Amino acid sequence: MSLRGLVKHFDTRLAVSGVSLDVPAGSFFGLLGPNGAGKTTTLSMAVGLLRPDAGQAELLGYDVWRAPAEAKALVGVLPDGMRMFDRLSGPELLAYHGLLRGMPAATVDQRAVELLDVLEIGNGNRTLVVDYSAGMKKKIGLACALLHAPRLLVLDEPFEAVDPVSGALIRDILQRYVSGGGTVVFSSHVLEVVERLCTHVAIMSDGVVRMQGPLTEIRGDRTLSDVFVQVVGGRVATGSELAWL
Amino acid sequence: MAVTGTPGSVSIRAFVRLKLRITGNTLRDRPARIVMFVLGLVAACGFAILGYSMLAVPGLLDRPDMAEFLFPFGGALLTLGWVFLPLLFFGVDSTLDPAQFALLPLRRRTLIAGMGAAALAGLPALATLCATLGTVHSAALLGGAGAALAGLLGVVCGLAVCVVLSRAVISAFATSLRSRRARDLATILLAVVAASIGPLELTLLGLLNRADWTLVETAATVTGWTPLGAPWTLGLDVAQGRAWAVPLKLLIVVVTVTGLLVWWGRTLEQAMVGAAGTGPGRAAAPDHRSPVTKLLFRWSPRSRFGALTAREIRYWWRETRRRAALVTLTMAGVFLPLSTAFAGDGSGAVGLAFVVGAIAPIGLANQFGYEGSAYATNLATGVPGRLEIHSRAAAHAVFTVPVLVLVAIVTGVVAGRPEAIATQFGTLLATYGTGLALVLPISVRAAYALPDTTGPFALSSGGGFSKSLPGMAALLGAMIGSLPVVVLATLWPWLALPVGLVYGVCAYLLGAHLAGRMLDRRMPELLAAVTPR
Repeated sequence: MSLRGLVKHFDTRLAVSGVSLDVPAGSFFGLLGPNGAGKTTTLSMAVGLLRPDAGQAELLGYDVWRAPAEAKALVGVLPDGMRMFDRLSGPELLAYHGLLRGMPAATVDQRAVELLDVLEIGNGNRTLVVDYSAGMKKKIGLACALLHAPRLLVLDEPFEAVDPVSGALIRDILQRYVSGGGTVVFSSHVLEVVERLCTHVAIMSDGVVRMQGPLTEIRGDRTLSDVFVQVVGGRVATGSELAWL
Repeated sequence: MAVTGTPGSVSIRAFVRLKLRITGNTLRDRPARIVMFVLGLVAACGFAILGYSMLAVPGLLDRPDMAEFLFPFGGALLTLGWVFLPLLFFGVDSTLDPAQFALLPLRRRTLIAGMGAAALAGLPALATLCATLGTVHSAALLGGAGAALAGLLGVVCGLAVCVVLSRAVISAFATSLRSRRARDLATILLAVVAASIGPLELTLLGLLNRADWTLVETAATVTGWTPLGAPWTLGLDVAQGRAWAVPLKLLIVVVTVTGLLVWWGRTLEQAMVGAAGTGPGRAAAPDHRSPVTKLLFRWSPRSRFGALTAREIRYWWRETRRRAALVTLTMAGVFLPLSTAFAGDGSGAVGLAFVVGAIAPIGLANQFGYEGSAYATNLATGVPGRLEIHSRAAAHAVFTVPVLVLVAIVTGVVAGRPEAIATQFGTLLATYGTGLALVLPISVRAAYALPDTTGPFALSSGGGFSKSLPGMAALLGAMIGSLPVVVLATLWPWLALPVGLVYGVCAYLLGAHLAGRMLDRRMPELLAAVTPR
């Protein structure tokens, strides 16, 4: 995935101002940043959900805005803050995604049942996705993104609201996916997860990429948390105020 | 040092200020909202002036007999309007949501007083007050200063009844509808009630024509003694020399308001806990069919088109707002022709059925708004515009075409001309096709976000009127566009079915093609338009 000078305004506010990112194939890429840094906006533009005001986005060599069909066919997306077709049950939703991707029905069935079992949702579950817990919703969303075995996964906050056990499961699935040659790009503000998983990271704040590169280079001999705070800035300790607390 | 306010020391002025501030903030930098607010202001002024002049007429003409039934009936209708209009059409004014006060140390009494005062500081309350001052005017002209004073007291009491009754009923509704299933059911019920108002009205009018006058007078007197009508008749009672009734009616009002306040207080406490605790999910037997067979119907093609239509069909049934739209359409489609048959000789039924053909596609006018940001799925997988449009129209047709057949049959039978059923169906198809041709591009171009809740009262998100204008235009356009077929049907009835079918299909294909091309160009913009903010 390669992004070149992406810009997006919302009304008068500049949400993303000239983001360029290079995600090497086969990397586990973490996009870090505080809330409101423009992570979701950047990823939405990268996968074709939001039209940028300027700049290009390429997925696996295809321009998302000039050759959308080719680009989208190879990518799995887990958007954050977007609803799913949540009046379907989990199995129905997976079947919908598979058929939309043009997969044969038999393959869809086989993979969907397997995913549902691994993610502990179960094929027999009749509950509608709208009634799922937040963690379950993340899991079914991830299953939908994985179903067509894409070469690139773009995940927006995959670990938010996920309990530790499911989180570990998702981590394992993603690590396996990367070791099989896939590329993962995900956004997060949980530094521990990023530090444990990623080979590459980029740090965003105020709509700009402040730093990007292999994790070892970025981190140096410090902790990622120290680097993050230094790059993003902001206050981390209290002074003489709040004495009454 | 800890500074703690004494609980209950908050003045109710704080609530009113808070509400006005929130109202002001929602208008800031939003021209569209300002326009809507001004339109609302104009409507409120119109209502106030109209109401005032109507209620002042008995006084100006010196006709106390007119006031005897106008005041109790008008007042009762107004009070009922306060309960039902928010439930059915406007949605509840949730500027001040009780759940937001849950963590503050407020006594229930303070909260109730504050919420009540805040409800009074709104356009509906002010408009009601201005309109009902007309009764004071009448009372003053009929019975002098004493009557006017009693009338004024009555108007204030009446307003209190309106506000407290509406708040209490809505609060009770909201708390009893915690679970999604219950809310879904309530939406359907409300749709049924809303759809049956029209036919009911026609039936009532028919009955009124035959009713005898003394019966109406008795009904008016009785209504005047119910809590709904009592406050509005105080001034009239003094003017008509029944001053002894005033304290009794005041007692009725006070008891009512107190009872409602207690009720409201109880439900308010439950509402403050919020809708966090949802009802238990129904434990259904596990379904072990394969995922694809669960999604698709037996006759669906195993393809993208099949998946899209199957998902749409399930959505028309499972999504409450859509199901409500379907129920309304069916009710209107079947009962409009029926009610004209009761009122007249049934000849009007044919014309009304024709209108149903134009109403049917309106459900698609904001089709992308129903599922909101879930459209991101189709966008991320790259569903082509034409496929999207065709599949949605096909799923809609699965529900509407049977309704149209039903309408044609009902109309033909009611009008006493079963041989006209085929002709009727032909014109219906032509109108339906033309309507689709107009509505599909509108659904891409003029999509808007619906509130992202499952609440049954969130049917309209404010500004519903201006947003529904394109749909209304399509309705008119469909009727005009299909006139050639209607004319043809009157000349050569046997031609109507084949020509109507071809006409409708051609119009649909043209509209779908246009809408598909449009969608291909503006998919991300459409997603942004339907994502609630």
